[in-house]
Amino acid sequence: MTAPVGTNRKMFWRIIRRLLFAHRGRLFVILLALGTGAAVTAALLNLQVDAKRRLTTEFRVLGANVIIAARGASDSRDSPKVLIESLFGQLPAENEGIPVTKAEFLYGIVDIAPLDPKEVNAKSHKSAKAVVAGFAIAVGSNYVAHGLEKIFPSTVVEGKNLNFLNVRTCELGQNLASEFQLHPGARLALKYGDAADVCDVSAIRSFGGSEDNQAFLELRAVQTLLKLPGRVSLIQASVPGTPESVGRYIATLAKAIPEADVRPIRQFTEAEARIYDRISGVLTATVAIVLLLTGLCVMAAMTNVAMERRNDVGLMKAIGGASRRVQRLFLAEAALLGLTGGLLGAAAGIALSIGLGKAVFGVAARPRLIVYPVAVALTIIVAIAGAFPLRRLTSIRPASVFRGEA
Amino acid sequence: MFVRLVADSVTRRPRQKLLTTAALALGMAVATAALSVSLDVGDRLAREFRSLGANLLVTPQADSLPLEIGGVDYRPVNAGAYLPEADLPKLKTIFWHNNIVSFVPVLEFSAAFSQDLAAQHPKYSGQVDNFHEVPVIGTWANRSIRIPDGANFATGAAKTNPWWHIDGSWFSDTVKECVVGRQLAQRYGVKIGDTILLRGREIAPPSTAIIDDTGERVSIRENVAFVVRGLLSTGGPEDNAVVIPLEFAQQMVGKPGKYRKLYVSALTKPEDDFGRRDPKTMKPDELERWSCSPYVSSIAYSIQQVLPGADVRVIRRVAEGEGRILARVRTLLWLVTLAALLAAALAVGASSAASVIERRTEIGLMKALGAGSGTVGFLLAAEQLLLAFMGGGIGYALGILLARVVGEKIFGAAPEPSLLILVVIIGLAAGVTLLGSALPLRRASRYEPAPILRGE
Repeated sequence: MTAPVGTNRKMFWRIIRRLLFAHRGRLFVILLALGTGAAVTAALLNLQVDAKRRLTTEFRVLGANVIIAARGASDSRDSPKVLIESLFGQLPAENEGIPVTKAEFLYGIVDIAPLDPKEVNAKSHKSAKAVVAGFAIAVGSNYVAHGLEKIFPSTVVEGKNLNFLNVRTCELGQNLASEFQLHPGARLALKYGDAADVCDVSAIRSFGGSEDNQAFLELRAVQTLLKLPGRVSLIQASVPGTPESVGRYIATLAKAIPEADVRPIRQFTEAEARIYDRISGVLTATVAIVLLLTGLCVMAAMTNVAMERRNDVGLMKAIGGASRRVQRLFLAEAALLGLTGGLLGAAAGIALSIGLGKAVFGVAARPRLIVYPVAVALTIIVAIAGAFPLRRLTSIRPASVFRGEA
Repeated sequence: MFVRLVADSVTRRPRQKLLTTAALALGMAVATAALSVSLDVGDRLAREFRSLGANLLVTPQADSLPLEIGGVDYRPVNAGAYLPEADLPKLKTIFWHNNIVSFVPVLEFSAAFSQDLAAQHPKYSGQVDNFHEVPVIGTWANRSIRIPDGANFATGAAKTNPWWHIDGSWFSDTVKECVVGRQLAQRYGVKIGDTILLRGREIAPPSTAIIDDTGERVSIRENVAFVVRGLLSTGGPEDNAVVIPLEFAQQMVGKPGKYRKLYVSALTKPEDDFGRRDPKTMKPDELERWSCSPYVSSIAYSIQQVLPGADVRVIRRVAEGEGRILARVRTLLWLVTLAALLAAALAVGASSAASVIERRTEIGLMKALGAGSGTVGFLLAAEQLLLAFMGGGIGYALGILLARVVGEKIFGAAPEPSLLILVVIIGLAAGVTLLGSALPLRRASRYEPAPILRGE
């Protein structure tokens, strides 16, 4: 019995080969349909996984979403409550593997006056009270020179974004600058009690909030000026991640530093959660619809192809092919087509998703390997399901086919 | 004869045709749904972004420099300038009035606050608890204002700042009621229904000031009682403040009809390089184009025109973030739509190619009977087009339904069906089926009738 089985198997594959390659145009069309389906499936699934993650990072253009302040607001005007600076180091450096940007601020009201010998108009010698903010910024656990806009998004109206940590320079809010008629390059005198300091204006920023009335200096300078070494007024952090994971970050932090008041900046966290839900909803819905209907389209194309096999089925049955074997033959053909189309399509899908990721987020989407076997498997399933009408063909009576009856 | 052939072909083998039409309809349904959702989603999301609150801030031009830390202004009460409340309805007369979603004027000051124990326990009559200095915010809770064209416009803090949560209810703008920040309420044990006192402006001239028991001069100020209607939690500085109706805040600081800050929430288009340019440097035609796009800066510009003495600033944090995220999401959805269109087009093209391929015998027969390649091609193309119109039409209807379901599920509102999409979809269906059948048709036109008819 071994020999006939062997011959049978050989014959089986021979028929399959002939079925596939007898008509190259047809083969091309089916592979195109299946391949496109697989490519779109792979690319969209990949984008779907990647885009949600990236969106939460993208939300950080809104700036800080967590604030850490001293417990109980300032009761008296003269001694605002402060935090110990060491708290700053206690913030977890990352959330969900993405570094957290955090900034510490110390605010004070000091006398400021422009100090430029060349500018001798009346207003330039005016001294007035203004709010100064000393700040230091860290991304993850490293201090960085740049990045005020990561906490307080703003645009530079005049001057340049300078590296100004450890340098005697300061940035001014738009209102403050126009009040004192200051431009980049001007020198500013700061006075608080008997302490005094000077700084050079490097840039003027527009925030559209109370920050427009403030001067931003390096934290150490302000700590020295206000005689509050090692103290900060508040800490703000821009924590990436989904709304739930930011919530967990806040809860963990609140437990770790009970002496401070850790809270989300609700204006941003709530809006983010809402918008995130909407966008990921639209994305999921669109991707689901596209996948479902791509599957159906491919299936329709396969069905069309299967229907034209009536003559072949009739002939096979006429020369003694058992229904089950005939059926197996065509299903094997469909599976083979699905596999090839799926593999080709998934490969195209990788390229497509890299391109899509680049176009949307400027960074190539990281290919998720799990997506590709899923896409290939789905294609095979769709191809076999598309060949399903062949089951009905097995009930075909050979004679009626040969008579040319429809 | 031509029409008869086409009609016959469609009616005689209904199953085949049904399959091709189904594939077409499904493909076009995806395309329709994806297109309508994408076209609609920008507007819907822009609206969602208003949950970030105001993106424009209006302050008096002549204002002195505010000394604001953590939401508390450390300036003396009399410093600084104010803007007239009466000008506010003009906001709804600017060119972009439909884009103004809401606005709310604010008057902040700091006042001595105390619980009115006398109102709660008769035994305290005549004395009140210690006064504490707290920030007070005068604003509109929910206000319906009459705008110059005669309609009413509902606005206020509740609408402008959706993240402000109220336990209890907002105050009504015309009664001496207030809401108290949650942290402040916790600190002093204030509950909903209590009465609090705020010490307002001096009611007697300084010369009649009395000397208190420590020997200091104390001016006589009136105490204003407010009933606490709700507890406010915002996650911001308002948690430590008392919020009262604007009208009474104006009375307390002696500035009737004035406010200090105005927050405006407007629907905008993300700024591009053109939108960021300074309108002063533009040529007249550029200025016109610029002011006819709802950029946040051009809305700011037109608000500035109707509010004399005001300085309108863009809240960068909200506006820039919104612009960037919107731009990203739009690209994302357009690409997904494009992928959907591509997939639909290829699948439909493939299925119409398959349907031409299987008709080789028919083509052979027609050619044997003397039909030219052109006639055969024309016949088959006409047939495919007929299917495309049917499939495209059904697909459009299906797609609109689908878009409706998706839109309602996600945004609570269905996208408007648009005729433009119908035209695009029918055109796409026709193009794709023709393209799909073109290749096999070209090959078919080269067929020799004889071998085909012999079944080779």
